[in-house]
Amino acid sequence: MSDADIGVGGTLVWYYYICLRQVWLISHQITPDADDGNLILGRFIGETSYNREKKELAIGSSKMDVYHFNNGEMVVGEVKKSSKYNQSARMQLAFYLKELHKRGIQARGELRFPQEKKKEEVILDEDTLAEIERVERDILRLVYLQQPPPPVKNRFCKKCAYSEFCWS
Amino acid sequence: MKKTLYIFTNGQFHRKDNTIYFETEQGEKRFIPVEDTGEIMIFGEVDINKRFLEFLSQKEIILHYFSHYGYYMGSFYPREHLNSGYMILRQAEHYIDENKRLSIARLLVEGAGKNILRVLKYYKARDKKVDNSIVTIETLLGTIATCNDIPSLMAIEGNMREAYYKAFDEIIELPDFIFENRTRRPPKNYLNTLISFGNSLLYTICLGEIYRTHLDPRIGFLHTTNFRRFTLNLDIAEIFKPLIVDRVIFSLLGRKMITTDDFERGSEGILMKDRAKRCFIEQMEEKLKTTIKHREIGRAVSYRRLIRLELYKLEKHLMGEKVYEPFIATW
Repeated sequence: MSDADIGVGGTLVWYYYICLRQVWLISHQITPDADDGNLILGRFIGETSYNREKKELAIGSSKMDVYHFNNGEMVVGEVKKSSKYNQSARMQLAFYLKELHKRGIQARGELRFPQEKKKEEVILDEDTLAEIERVERDILRLVYLQQPPPPVKNRFCKKCAYSEFCWS
Repeated sequence: MKKTLYIFTNGQFHRKDNTIYFETEQGEKRFIPVEDTGEIMIFGEVDINKRFLEFLSQKEIILHYFSHYGYYMGSFYPREHLNSGYMILRQAEHYIDENKRLSIARLLVEGAGKNILRVLKYYKARDKKVDNSIVTIETLLGTIATCNDIPSLMAIEGNMREAYYKAFDEIIELPDFIFENRTRRPPKNYLNTLISFGNSLLYTICLGEIYRTHLDPRIGFLHTTNFRRFTLNLDIAEIFKPLIVDRVIFSLLGRKMITTDDFERGSEGILMKDRAKRCFIEQMEEKLKTTIKHREIGRAVSYRRLIRLELYKLEKHLMGEKVYEPFIATW
Protein backbone atom coordinates (compact mmCIF):
# COMPACT_ATOMS: atom_id res chain seq x y z
CA MET A 1 0.00 0.00 0.00
CA SER A 2 1.50 3.33 -1.00
CA ASP A 3 1.19 6.48 1.05
CA ALA A 4 -0.92 8.07 -1.64
CA ASP A 5 -3.63 5.48 -0.98
CA ILE A 6 -4.02 6.51 2.60
CA GLY A 7 -5.58 9.73 3.65
CA VAL A 8 -6.79 9.82 7.19
CA GLY A 9 -10.35 10.97 6.77
CA GLY A 10 -12.98 11.98 9.28
CA THR A 11 -14.63 8.58 9.33
CA LEU A 12 -11.40 6.87 10.37
CA VAL A 13 -11.19 9.30 13.30
CA TRP A 14 -14.77 8.40 14.14
CA TYR A 15 -13.98 4.66 14.06
CA TYR A 16 -10.82 5.19 16.08
CA TYR A 17 -12.77 6.02 19.20
CA ILE A 18 -15.15 3.12 18.77
CA CYS A 19 -12.87 0.25 17.83
CA LEU A 20 -9.32 0.02 16.50
CA ARG A 21 -10.16 -3.10 14.57
CA GLN A 22 -12.76 -1.20 12.58
CA VAL A 23 -10.14 1.34 11.55
CA TRP A 24 -8.02 -1.43 10.07
CA LEU A 25 -10.90 -3.21 8.34
CA ILE A 26 -12.39 -0.11 6.76
CA SER A 27 -8.99 1.07 5.57
CA HIS A 28 -8.64 -2.26 3.76
CA GLN A 29 -12.06 -1.75 2.16
CA ILE A 30 -13.51 -4.56 4.20
CA THR A 31 -16.77 -2.77 4.72
CA PRO A 32 -19.37 -3.83 7.29
CA ASP A 33 -22.51 -5.81 6.50
CA ALA A 34 -24.55 -3.46 4.30
CA ASP A 35 -27.84 -5.11 5.29
CA ASP A 36 -27.39 -4.15 8.92
CA GLY A 37 -30.49 -2.36 10.17
CA ASN A 38 -28.63 0.33 12.11
CA LEU A 39 -26.46 1.19 9.11
CA ILE A 40 -29.51 1.52 6.89
CA LEU A 41 -31.26 3.69 9.46
CA GLY A 42 -28.18 5.90 9.87
CA ARG A 43 -27.89 6.41 6.13
CA PHE A 44 -31.58 7.22 5.90
CA ILE A 45 -31.36 9.82 8.67
CA GLY A 46 -28.36 11.42 6.98
CA GLU A 47 -30.15 11.56 3.66
CA THR A 48 -33.46 12.87 4.88
CA SER A 49 -32.43 15.39 7.55
CA TYR A 50 -31.63 19.10 7.09
CA ASN A 51 -32.66 19.25 3.47
CA ARG A 52 -32.79 23.03 3.48
CA GLU A 53 -29.07 23.31 4.19
CA LYS A 54 -26.24 22.84 1.76
CA LYS A 55 -25.01 19.28 1.90
CA GLU A 56 -21.76 17.41 1.64
CA LEU A 57 -18.59 19.40 1.48
CA ALA A 58 -15.52 17.43 0.42
CA ILE A 59 -12.11 18.41 1.73
CA GLY A 60 -9.11 16.10 1.48
CA SER A 61 -10.26 12.58 2.31
CA SER A 62 -13.26 13.85 4.20
CA LYS A 63 -16.83 14.62 3.42
CA MET A 64 -18.77 16.85 5.76
CA ASP A 65 -22.49 16.31 6.12
CA VAL A 66 -23.97 19.83 6.14
CA TYR A 67 -22.70 23.39 6.34
CA HIS A 68 -24.02 26.94 6.38
CA PHE A 69 -22.84 30.46 7.08
CA ASN A 70 -23.95 32.45 10.09
CA ASN A 71 -22.98 36.16 10.04
CA GLY A 72 -20.04 35.34 7.80
CA GLU A 73 -18.89 32.50 10.03
CA MET A 74 -18.89 28.99 8.66
CA VAL A 75 -20.76 26.33 10.62
CA VAL A 76 -20.08 22.67 9.79
CA GLY A 77 -22.61 20.11 10.93
CA GLU A 78 -22.16 16.38 11.42
CA VAL A 79 -25.39 14.37 11.50
CA LYS A 80 -25.56 11.37 13.79
CA LYS A 81 -28.20 8.81 14.53
CA SER A 82 -27.60 8.85 18.25
CA SER A 83 -25.49 10.61 20.83
CA LYS A 84 -24.29 7.28 22.16
CA TYR A 85 -21.04 7.73 20.23
CA ASN A 86 -20.49 11.22 21.57
CA GLN A 87 -16.71 11.21 21.90
CA SER A 88 -16.29 9.70 18.45
CA ALA A 89 -18.56 12.28 16.91
CA ARG A 90 -16.83 15.19 18.68
CA MET A 91 -13.42 14.11 17.51
CA GLN A 92 -14.58 13.53 13.97
CA LEU A 93 -15.99 17.03 13.83
CA ALA A 94 -12.90 18.50 15.50
CA PHE A 95 -10.87 16.81 12.79
CA TYR A 96 -12.94 18.58 10.11
CA LEU A 97 -12.42 21.90 11.87
CA LYS A 98 -8.70 21.23 11.84
CA GLU A 99 -8.76 20.39 8.13
CA LEU A 100 -10.62 23.64 7.43
CA HIS A 101 -8.26 25.61 9.68
CA LYS A 102 -5.30 24.20 7.73
CA ARG A 103 -6.86 25.75 4.64
CA GLY A 104 -7.34 29.09 6.33
CA ILE A 105 -11.01 28.72 7.21
CA GLN A 106 -12.13 29.43 10.74
CA ALA A 107 -15.23 27.36 11.37
CA ARG A 108 -17.48 26.30 14.19
CA GLY A 109 -18.77 22.74 14.57
CA GLU A 110 -22.21 21.51 15.36
CA LEU A 111 -23.13 17.94 16.18
CA ARG A 112 -26.67 17.17 15.14
CA PHE A 113 -28.86 14.42 16.49
CA PRO A 114 -32.10 14.84 14.55
CA GLN A 115 -33.84 11.94 16.25
CA GLU A 116 -33.04 13.32 19.67
CA LYS A 117 -33.72 16.91 18.55
CA LYS A 118 -30.37 17.88 19.98
CA LYS A 119 -27.38 19.98 18.89
CA GLU A 120 -23.96 20.29 20.46
CA GLU A 121 -21.22 22.75 19.76
CA VAL A 122 -17.65 21.66 19.07
CA ILE A 123 -14.72 24.05 19.20
CA LEU A 124 -11.17 23.32 18.21
CA ASP A 125 -8.90 24.24 21.14
CA GLU A 126 -5.20 23.56 21.75
CA ASP A 127 -5.76 20.30 23.60
CA THR A 128 -8.17 18.93 21.02
CA LEU A 129 -5.78 19.86 18.25
CA ALA A 130 -2.92 18.00 19.94
CA GLU A 131 -5.14 14.96 20.48
CA ILE A 132 -6.24 14.95 16.83
CA GLU A 133 -2.65 15.00 15.68
CA ARG A 134 -1.78 12.11 17.94
CA VAL A 135 -4.77 10.14 16.65
CA GLU A 136 -3.83 10.75 13.03
CA ARG A 137 -0.40 9.28 13.65
CA ASP A 138 -1.85 6.32 15.48
CA ILE A 139 -4.35 5.65 12.70
CA LEU A 140 -1.51 5.48 10.20
CA ARG A 141 0.32 3.04 12.45
CA LEU A 142 -2.79 0.84 12.64
CA VAL A 143 -3.45 0.90 8.93
CA TYR A 144 0.02 -0.39 8.20
CA LEU A 145 -0.34 -3.43 10.48
CA GLN A 146 -0.19 -6.72 8.58
CA GLN A 147 -3.28 -7.96 10.33
CA PRO A 148 -6.20 -6.27 12.04
CA PRO A 149 -5.98 -5.85 15.81
CA PRO A 150 -7.80 -8.83 17.41
CA PRO A 151 -11.45 -8.31 18.28
CA VAL A 152 -12.06 -6.97 21.76
CA LYS A 153 -15.59 -6.94 23.09
CA ASN A 154 -16.75 -3.48 24.04
CA ARG A 155 -20.08 -1.75 24.60
CA PHE A 156 -20.40 -0.93 20.91
CA CYS A 157 -20.15 -4.52 19.66
CA LYS A 158 -23.78 -5.26 20.29
CA LYS A 159 -25.06 -2.97 17.57
CA CYS A 160 -22.01 -3.07 15.33
CA ALA A 161 -22.42 -4.16 11.70
CA TYR A 162 -19.06 -5.94 11.97
CA SER A 163 -20.01 -8.02 15.00
CA GLU A 164 -20.86 -11.17 13.06
CA PHE A 165 -17.65 -10.84 11.14
CA CYS A 166 -15.61 -10.43 14.33
CA TRP A 167 -17.29 -13.09 16.41
CA SER A 168 -18.03 -15.80 13.85
CA MET B 1 -32.64 -10.51 6.09
CA LYS B 2 -33.66 -9.89 2.48
CA LYS B 3 -36.10 -12.31 0.89
CA THR B 4 -35.82 -14.64 -2.05
CA LEU B 5 -38.50 -14.35 -4.70
CA TYR B 6 -39.50 -17.45 -6.66
CA ILE B 7 -41.29 -17.07 -10.00
CA PHE B 8 -43.12 -20.08 -11.41
CA THR B 9 -45.70 -18.38 -13.60
CA ASN B 10 -45.01 -17.20 -17.13
CA GLY B 11 -44.91 -13.49 -17.78
CA GLN B 12 -42.78 -10.39 -18.00
CA PHE B 13 -40.72 -8.33 -15.61
CA HIS B 14 -41.01 -4.57 -15.93
CA ARG B 15 -39.36 -1.64 -14.32
CA LYS B 16 -41.74 1.08 -13.26
CA ASP B 17 -40.04 4.25 -11.95
CA ASN B 18 -38.26 3.13 -8.83
CA THR B 19 -39.67 -0.31 -8.48
CA ILE B 20 -40.34 -3.45 -10.50
CA TYR B 21 -43.41 -5.51 -11.13
CA PHE B 22 -44.17 -8.88 -12.61
CA GLU B 23 -46.95 -9.12 -15.15
CA THR B 24 -48.45 -12.55 -15.73
CA GLU B 25 -49.68 -13.76 -19.09
CA GLN B 26 -53.21 -12.94 -17.92
CA GLY B 27 -52.18 -9.32 -17.39
CA GLU B 28 -52.13 -9.48 -13.62
CA LYS B 29 -49.53 -7.15 -12.08
CA ARG B 30 -47.58 -7.92 -8.95
CA PHE B 31 -45.26 -5.28 -7.53
CA ILE B 32 -41.99 -6.44 -5.97
CA PRO B 33 -40.65 -4.79 -2.81
CA VAL B 34 -37.13 -4.13 -4.12
CA GLU B 35 -35.57 -3.00 -0.86
CA ASP B 36 -36.55 -6.26 0.74
CA THR B 37 -35.58 -8.62 -2.08
CA GLY B 38 -32.13 -10.18 -2.19
CA GLU B 39 -32.50 -12.47 -5.17
CA ILE B 40 -35.01 -13.67 -7.72
CA MET B 41 -35.21 -17.31 -8.86
CA ILE B 42 -36.95 -17.85 -12.16
CA PHE B 43 -38.58 -21.19 -12.97
CA GLY B 44 -41.24 -20.03 -15.42
CA GLU B 45 -40.90 -18.55 -18.90
CA VAL B 46 -40.09 -14.95 -18.19
CA ASP B 47 -39.24 -12.01 -20.44
CA ILE B 48 -36.91 -9.32 -19.18
CA ASN B 49 -35.27 -6.26 -20.66
CA LYS B 50 -32.17 -4.19 -20.07
CA ARG B 51 -33.98 -1.51 -18.08
CA PHE B 52 -35.04 -4.20 -15.66
CA LEU B 53 -31.51 -5.66 -15.37
CA GLU B 54 -30.08 -2.17 -14.86
CA PHE B 55 -32.42 -1.68 -11.98
CA LEU B 56 -31.52 -5.04 -10.43
CA SER B 57 -27.88 -4.07 -10.69
CA GLN B 58 -28.55 -0.79 -8.94
CA LYS B 59 -30.46 -2.57 -6.17
CA GLU B 60 -27.88 -5.36 -5.95
CA ILE B 61 -30.40 -8.12 -6.64
CA ILE B 62 -29.17 -11.35 -8.24
CA LEU B 63 -31.27 -13.20 -10.80
CA HIS B 64 -31.00 -16.98 -11.08
CA TYR B 65 -32.70 -18.86 -13.87
CA PHE B 66 -33.60 -22.49 -14.05
CA SER B 67 -34.45 -24.41 -17.21
CA HIS B 68 -37.83 -25.85 -18.02
CA TYR B 69 -36.54 -29.07 -16.48
CA GLY B 70 -35.65 -27.36 -13.23
CA TYR B 71 -31.88 -27.42 -13.74
CA TYR B 72 -29.81 -24.42 -12.84
CA MET B 73 -28.91 -22.50 -15.98
CA GLY B 74 -27.14 -19.39 -14.84
CA SER B 75 -27.30 -16.15 -12.97
CA PHE B 76 -27.36 -12.48 -13.69
CA TYR B 77 -24.71 -11.51 -11.17
CA PRO B 78 -24.72 -7.71 -10.99
CA ARG B 79 -21.45 -5.82 -10.94
CA GLU B 80 -19.54 -6.25 -7.70
CA HIS B 81 -20.54 -3.67 -5.15
CA LEU B 82 -18.12 -4.65 -2.42
CA ASN B 83 -14.60 -4.21 -3.64
CA SER B 84 -11.57 -4.88 -1.54
CA GLY B 85 -8.39 -5.29 -3.55
CA TYR B 86 -6.79 -6.55 -0.37
CA MET B 87 -9.27 -9.43 0.00
CA ILE B 88 -9.12 -10.46 -3.68
CA LEU B 89 -5.35 -10.68 -3.48
CA ARG B 90 -5.51 -12.79 -0.31
CA GLN B 91 -8.05 -15.09 -1.94
CA ALA B 92 -5.96 -15.51 -5.07
CA GLU B 93 -2.84 -16.05 -2.96
CA HIS B 94 -4.54 -18.93 -1.14
CA TYR B 95 -5.54 -20.45 -4.43
CA ILE B 96 -2.18 -20.17 -6.15
CA ASP B 97 -0.11 -21.43 -3.22
CA GLU B 98 -0.64 -25.20 -3.39
CA ASN B 99 -0.21 -25.74 0.35
CA LYS B 100 -2.50 -22.91 1.35
CA ARG B 101 -5.14 -24.13 -1.05
CA LEU B 102 -4.82 -27.68 0.21
CA SER B 103 -5.26 -26.70 3.84
CA ILE B 104 -8.54 -24.91 3.09
CA ALA B 105 -9.75 -27.77 0.88
CA ARG B 106 -8.97 -30.28 3.66
CA LEU B 107 -11.03 -28.28 6.15
CA LEU B 108 -13.94 -28.14 3.72
CA VAL B 109 -13.93 -31.91 3.16
CA GLU B 110 -13.55 -32.52 6.87
CA GLY B 111 -16.48 -30.22 7.63
CA ALA B 112 -18.66 -31.89 5.00
CA GLY B 113 -17.75 -35.35 6.37
CA LYS B 114 -18.45 -34.42 9.97
CA ASN B 115 -21.84 -32.99 9.10
CA ILE B 116 -22.66 -36.14 7.15
CA LEU B 117 -21.77 -38.16 10.25
CA ARG B 118 -23.99 -35.92 12.33
CA VAL B 119 -26.97 -36.77 10.11
CA LEU B 120 -26.16 -40.49 10.12
CA LYS B 121 -25.76 -40.63 13.88
CA TYR B 122 -29.13 -39.02 14.30
CA TYR B 123 -30.67 -41.90 12.35
CA LYS B 124 -28.55 -44.48 14.12
CA ALA B 125 -30.08 -43.23 17.37
CA ARG B 126 -33.44 -43.94 15.73
CA ASP B 127 -32.42 -47.54 15.11
CA LYS B 128 -31.69 -47.22 11.41
CA LYS B 129 -28.98 -49.58 10.21
CA VAL B 130 -26.43 -47.05 9.06
CA ASP B 131 -23.40 -48.41 10.92
CA ASN B 132 -21.49 -49.50 7.83
CA SER B 133 -21.66 -46.04 6.33
CA ILE B 134 -20.59 -44.44 9.59
CA VAL B 135 -17.53 -46.68 9.87
CA THR B 136 -16.52 -46.07 6.25
CA ILE B 137 -16.86 -42.29 6.59
CA GLU B 138 -14.96 -42.21 9.86
CA THR B 139 -12.11 -44.13 8.23
CA LEU B 140 -12.09 -41.79 5.24
CA LEU B 141 -12.05 -38.75 7.53
CA GLY B 142 -8.90 -40.14 9.11
CA THR B 143 -7.09 -40.14 5.77
CA ILE B 144 -7.66 -36.45 5.00
CA ALA B 145 -4.54 -35.33 6.84
CA THR B 146 -2.30 -37.56 4.71
CA CYS B 147 -3.88 -36.39 1.49
CA ASN B 148 -1.41 -34.28 -0.44
CA ASP B 149 -3.20 -33.08 -3.50
CA ILE B 150 -6.60 -31.80 -4.53
CA PRO B 151 -7.61 -34.72 -6.80
CA SER B 152 -7.13 -37.27 -4.01
CA LEU B 153 -9.02 -35.01 -1.65
CA MET B 154 -11.86 -34.83 -4.17
CA ALA B 155 -11.74 -38.62 -4.32
CA ILE B 156 -12.12 -38.88 -0.54
CA GLU B 157 -15.02 -36.51 -0.71
CA GLY B 158 -16.60 -38.61 -3.44
CA ASN B 159 -16.12 -41.82 -1.47
CA MET B 160 -17.63 -40.27 1.64
CA ARG B 161 -20.71 -39.23 -0.32
CA GLU B 162 -20.99 -42.66 -1.84
CA ALA B 163 -20.95 -44.31 1.58
CA TYR B 164 -23.42 -41.71 2.78
CA TYR B 165 -25.85 -42.23 -0.09
CA LYS B 166 -25.75 -45.98 0.59
CA ALA B 167 -27.46 -45.23 3.88
CA PHE B 168 -30.26 -43.28 2.19
CA ASP B 169 -32.38 -46.35 1.40
CA GLU B 170 -32.15 -47.39 5.02
CA ILE B 171 -33.17 -43.91 6.19
CA ILE B 172 -35.95 -43.26 3.68
CA GLU B 173 -37.38 -46.81 3.53
CA LEU B 174 -39.52 -46.17 0.47
CA PRO B 175 -39.14 -48.59 -2.47
CA ASP B 176 -40.22 -45.84 -4.88
CA PHE B 177 -37.33 -43.69 -3.78
CA ILE B 178 -34.37 -46.03 -3.85
CA PHE B 179 -31.02 -44.48 -4.47
CA GLU B 180 -29.22 -46.91 -6.88
CA ASN B 181 -26.42 -44.65 -8.15
CA ARG B 182 -25.80 -40.96 -8.08
CA THR B 183 -26.82 -39.68 -11.50
CA ARG B 184 -26.83 -36.11 -12.71
CA ARG B 185 -27.74 -34.18 -15.84
CA PRO B 186 -30.17 -35.80 -16.15
CA PRO B 187 -30.84 -37.57 -12.86
CA LYS B 188 -32.16 -41.05 -13.60
CA ASN B 189 -34.53 -41.67 -10.72
CA TYR B 190 -36.79 -39.81 -8.31
CA LEU B 191 -34.35 -39.54 -5.44
CA ASN B 192 -31.53 -38.30 -7.65
CA THR B 193 -33.87 -35.69 -9.08
CA LEU B 194 -34.63 -34.42 -5.59
CA ILE B 195 -30.94 -34.35 -4.63
CA SER B 196 -30.02 -32.43 -7.79
CA PHE B 197 -32.81 -29.92 -7.32
CA GLY B 198 -31.94 -29.30 -3.68
CA ASN B 199 -28.24 -28.95 -4.37
CA SER B 200 -28.90 -26.45 -7.18
CA LEU B 201 -30.99 -24.34 -4.84
CA LEU B 202 -28.30 -24.42 -2.19
CA TYR B 203 -25.63 -23.40 -4.73
CA THR B 204 -27.59 -20.31 -5.68
CA ILE B 205 -28.22 -19.43 -2.06
CA CYS B 206 -24.52 -19.71 -1.26
CA LEU B 207 -23.77 -17.58 -4.31
CA GLY B 208 -26.18 -14.94 -3.02
CA GLU B 209 -24.39 -14.86 0.32
CA ILE B 210 -20.97 -14.60 -1.36
CA TYR B 211 -22.25 -11.60 -3.30
CA ARG B 212 -22.75 -9.86 0.04
CA THR B 213 -19.16 -10.39 1.12
CA HIS B 214 -15.81 -9.29 -0.29
CA LEU B 215 -15.03 -12.74 -1.67
CA ASP B 216 -14.92 -13.57 -5.36
CA PRO B 217 -17.25 -16.48 -6.20
CA ARG B 218 -15.02 -17.58 -9.09
CA ILE B 219 -12.15 -18.59 -6.81
CA GLY B 220 -12.96 -21.84 -5.05
CA PHE B 221 -10.46 -23.98 -3.16
CA LEU B 222 -11.75 -27.53 -3.25
CA HIS B 223 -13.42 -27.06 -6.61
CA THR B 224 -10.99 -25.98 -9.27
CA THR B 225 -11.25 -22.43 -10.45
CA ASN B 226 -11.46 -21.93 -14.16
CA PHE B 227 -12.56 -18.30 -14.11
CA ARG B 228 -15.63 -18.97 -16.19
CA ARG B 229 -17.77 -20.57 -13.56
CA PHE B 230 -18.65 -19.90 -9.97
CA THR B 231 -16.90 -22.37 -7.69
CA LEU B 232 -16.61 -20.91 -4.20
CA ASN B 233 -20.35 -21.43 -3.72
CA LEU B 234 -19.88 -25.14 -4.50
CA ASP B 235 -17.19 -25.32 -1.80
CA ILE B 236 -19.32 -23.71 0.87
CA ALA B 237 -22.38 -25.74 -0.09
CA GLU B 238 -20.48 -28.96 0.80
CA ILE B 239 -20.63 -28.00 4.46
CA PHE B 240 -24.37 -27.40 4.39
CA LYS B 241 -25.75 -30.01 1.97
CA PRO B 242 -26.20 -32.71 4.63
CA LEU B 243 -27.68 -30.28 7.14
CA ILE B 244 -30.02 -28.45 4.80
CA VAL B 245 -30.74 -30.27 1.52
CA ASP B 246 -30.64 -33.88 2.69
CA ARG B 247 -32.65 -33.22 5.83
CA VAL B 248 -35.29 -31.44 3.75
CA ILE B 249 -35.48 -34.45 1.42
CA PHE B 250 -35.85 -36.87 4.34
CA SER B 251 -38.67 -34.88 5.83
CA LEU B 252 -40.45 -34.33 2.49
CA LEU B 253 -40.45 -38.06 1.84
CA GLY B 254 -41.03 -39.10 5.43
CA ARG B 255 -44.14 -36.96 5.62
CA LYS B 256 -45.24 -38.03 2.13
CA MET B 257 -45.26 -34.40 1.02
CA ILE B 258 -43.75 -35.50 -2.27
CA THR B 259 -44.72 -38.80 -3.90
CA THR B 260 -44.07 -40.45 -7.27
CA ASP B 261 -47.14 -38.62 -8.63
CA ASP B 262 -45.10 -35.44 -8.43
CA PHE B 263 -42.75 -36.50 -11.21
CA GLU B 264 -43.00 -37.02 -14.92
CA ARG B 265 -40.73 -38.65 -17.42
CA GLY B 266 -39.44 -36.30 -20.07
CA SER B 267 -36.86 -36.50 -22.79
CA GLU B 268 -34.40 -35.04 -20.29
CA GLY B 269 -34.89 -37.72 -17.66
CA ILE B 270 -37.13 -37.50 -14.62
CA LEU B 271 -38.74 -34.13 -14.01
CA MET B 272 -40.36 -32.70 -10.92
CA LYS B 273 -43.75 -31.12 -11.43
CA ASP B 274 -44.20 -27.52 -10.33
CA ARG B 275 -46.16 -28.52 -7.26
CA ALA B 276 -43.22 -30.60 -6.02
CA LYS B 277 -40.73 -27.83 -6.73
CA ARG B 278 -42.82 -25.35 -4.79
CA CYS B 279 -43.22 -27.77 -1.94
CA PHE B 280 -39.46 -28.42 -1.85
CA ILE B 281 -38.71 -24.69 -1.91
CA GLU B 282 -41.16 -23.99 0.89
CA GLN B 283 -39.54 -26.60 3.12
CA MET B 284 -36.10 -25.39 2.20
CA GLU B 285 -37.02 -21.78 3.04
CA GLU B 286 -38.45 -23.04 6.31
CA LYS B 287 -35.17 -24.78 7.09
CA LEU B 288 -33.10 -21.73 6.17
CA LYS B 289 -35.15 -19.63 8.56
CA THR B 290 -34.68 -22.05 11.44
CA THR B 291 -32.40 -20.57 14.07
CA ILE B 292 -29.83 -21.97 16.42
CA LYS B 293 -28.19 -20.27 19.35
CA HIS B 294 -24.71 -19.09 18.42
CA ARG B 295 -22.42 -19.13 21.39
CA GLU B 296 -19.86 -16.56 20.27
CA ILE B 297 -22.31 -14.11 18.75
CA GLY B 298 -24.58 -14.58 21.73
CA ARG B 299 -27.93 -14.80 19.98
CA ALA B 300 -30.02 -16.87 17.61
CA VAL B 301 -28.70 -17.19 14.06
CA SER B 302 -30.57 -18.70 11.11
CA TYR B 303 -29.15 -21.44 8.91
CA ARG B 304 -29.02 -18.95 6.10
CA ARG B 305 -26.99 -16.62 8.27
CA LEU B 306 -24.68 -19.50 9.16
CA ILE B 307 -23.71 -19.62 5.49
CA ARG B 308 -22.68 -15.96 5.68
CA LEU B 309 -20.74 -16.60 8.90
CA GLU B 310 -18.92 -19.41 7.12
CA LEU B 311 -17.78 -16.88 4.52
CA TYR B 312 -16.69 -14.45 7.22
CA LYS B 313 -14.58 -17.20 8.82
CA LEU B 314 -13.06 -17.92 5.43
CA GLU B 315 -12.22 -14.23 5.00
CA LYS B 316 -10.46 -14.24 8.35
CA HIS B 317 -8.53 -17.33 7.34
CA LEU B 318 -7.43 -15.60 4.13
CA MET B 319 -6.38 -12.56 6.14
CA GLY B 320 -4.17 -14.82 8.21
CA GLU B 321 -6.12 -13.88 11.29
CA LYS B 322 -7.80 -17.08 12.39
CA VAL B 323 -7.72 -20.56 10.94
CA TYR B 324 -11.04 -21.48 9.29
CA GLU B 325 -13.13 -23.87 11.33
CA PRO B 326 -16.05 -25.33 9.41
CA PHE B 327 -19.46 -25.23 11.04
CA ILE B 328 -20.30 -28.63 12.51
CA ALA B 329 -23.81 -29.28 13.73
CA THR B 330 -23.93 -30.51 17.31
CA TRP B 331 -27.38 -32.08 17.38
